Amino acid sequence: MKIKKGWYALFTAPLMLVFFCVVVIPFFIGIGYSFFSWDGLAKHRAVFVGFQNFINVFQDGRFISSALRTTVFTLIAVLTVNILGIFFALVVTTKLRVRNLARTMLFMPYLIGGLILGYIWKAVFQEYFLNIGWGNWTTDSVKGIAAMVIVTTWQMAGYVMIVYITGIMAIPNDVMEAASVDGAGYFQTLFKVKFPLLMPSFTICLFLTLSNCFKIYDVNVSLTGAGPGNALEMYSLNIYNEIFSLSNFGYGQAKAIIFFLIIAVVTLAQVTITKKREVAM
Amino acid sequence: MKMGKKVLGLTMALATVAALGLTGCGKEDSGKITIFQSKTEIMSDLNALAKAYTEETGVEVEVWETTGDNYYSDLKTGLSTEAGATLFSLQPGAESVELADYLADLGDLSFVGKIGAGMADEVNGKIVGIPYTVEGFGLIYDKDLVDPASLNSTQALLDFMANSTADNALGLSQEDYFLIAHILNAPFAVQSNPEGYLKDVLAGSTRLADNEAFQEFAQIMEGIRANCTNPVDITYDNNCGDFATGKTALIHQGNWASGMFADYDVTFDMGITAVPIQGNNKISVSVPIAWYLNADASEKEQKLAKDFLEWLYTSKTGVDYLMNKFNFIPVVDGMENTNLDPVNTSVSNAVISGNTIPWVMSDWPAGIVSTDLAPITKEFFTSDMTGTELLDKLNDAFVAAAN
Repeated sequence: MKIKKGWYALFTAPLMLVFFCVVVIPFFIGIGYSFFSWDGLAKHRAVFVGFQNFINVFQDGRFISSALRTTVFTLIAVLTVNILGIFFALVVTTKLRVRNLARTMLFMPYLIGGLILGYIWKAVFQEYFLNIGWGNWTTDSVKGIAAMVIVTTWQMAGYVMIVYITGIMAIPNDVMEAASVDGAGYFQTLFKVKFPLLMPSFTICLFLTLSNCFKIYDVNVSLTGAGPGNALEMYSLNIYNEIFSLSNFGYGQAKAIIFFLIIAVVTLAQVTITKKREVAM
Repeated sequence: MKMGKKVLGLTMALATVAALGLTGCGKEDSGKITIFQSKTEIMSDLNALAKAYTEETGVEVEVWETTGDNYYSDLKTGLSTEAGATLFSLQPGAESVELADYLADLGDLSFVGKIGAGMADEVNGKIVGIPYTVEGFGLIYDKDLVDPASLNSTQALLDFMANSTADNALGLSQEDYFLIAHILNAPFAVQSNPEGYLKDVLAGSTRLADNEAFQEFAQIMEGIRANCTNPVDITYDNNCGDFATGKTALIHQGNWASGMFADYDVTFDMGITAVPIQGNNKISVSVPIAWYLNADASEKEQKLAKDFLEWLYTSKTGVDYLMNKFNFIPVVDGMENTNLDPVNTSVSNAVISGNTIPWVMSDWPAGIVSTDLAPITKEFFTSDMTGTELLDKLNDAFVAAAN
């Protein structure tokens, strides 16, 4: 047993080391930066400003509206991604002849990077839509969000589908048989048997989609940018612009810390809630 | 015990690999400089130039790749962590002022005195930037569709837009600089004292909307919205393509676009003319980008980098690359480029005759174009905001960014 633990430690050590260097340490240094006003250049002095950065964040209208916008986007996208994901999973776990091909095709968009996806879809929402008279979706404050939801759903649905497939496959046959012997119909089986047993998958998928959608950046940058009057600027892009375009490293870092806290609280709450609803077999 | 030995063996193996890797990195050559620069279109020729230099002098030149998008923030990170390139590029103006502490004096290069007046970048009394080339922008015209001489006032331009039979009278495109930065330079540059005027705007002591040049600029923007294809719906590629195929009469672009036209069979005469705000007849010309030397590089590297610049601007091979491969417009006395296309010739002639207005936009607060000006302009083009409201919003953004 002791040896086993040693092996675990050895094999996880490289990963832990990397994780420590590129995540944990920068995270704590970042917390430090958020109390300074600094333009990011080592030769320029950072001025300690205490909590002023955090106070300013809550008076920054552009930031607050980007936060609200991101929340709305996340709510819609989490729903569409998961509904579509579970729908796909149910379809490709039937006796469908092309199920393996379908799984591959549905999963494929996830393998394309978000930036590239954004540029590809930009052509669709801009040039093709203009040609067929639907207008330019990437410069409209409502349609732009819709466009981002569509691209995110297209990208993520195949991924959560895989998780749901695993969950569905793990449901033992005897439970399903018992249900059908008892005369349960398709929807009764679905809602009363499959979904409760799929709760662990829901926990994982909701967590993944929630945190991913809150953090959306690549699709935002490539598909719409900040948009007219910054009406399409999401949380991450706002932070990026603050730090890398306007060189306000301390202030941007304060935004990022608040961003982290919000995501942590929301996802923890979600995991706690869905965990409670998981049933033991 | 047996297991312990295995662990030890594994650790040793890892350590050996790591040690090999480290020594690989630490190899010291007799001489090597690194270059990081943002003009991506000359990248492949620059790599060839680096090879040619190594062949002639034995000094290795390594060119770092970039897509150009995050160039400035990547550069700043590099400089801040003392891992910056020996030679790098910046836009003279706000960028070189911000990084002044990192820039070495280049005043002792032999050809500095021959650089065109005002083109070498001077910060705190030191020459720190050696210009690549000059670039100019204005209205590129299709002579079959519009007579440039007739565009001699804002009213004439407005009339032309309202009555033109071309598919698109005046094309802007959606990219931040092509949408607003370049065209907004014109009303700043026609002021009698552009620098002083910008300072007043940033300090909030004067408003854009009270200035006649800006009022005319606002009229032009309203004219574009009313008569032309919506700029937020056009990409740079489409804008240049539509122009080259005779669908667009005027595009507000610079000489860099001439490379785009080369892909088409252009049948008409073209050139660059001024944005005629307040009768202005000069195009905006300046040094877009210049070479800077990293002040934190070792003395040896600095010496090698200076030798490289010296070679680039004075040797036969170097000048050949500047003129014929990079296709630059000459900035140093004695250089001549004989194979410029019509648009580049327009710019080159403007430089020679001094018929130019400056790039005031280089002195705008860093980052303002993408984070503020472009979103405001996109809003203007997708709503019924008036020209005066546009000026007010732009004005507020300038004041806010200056604080």
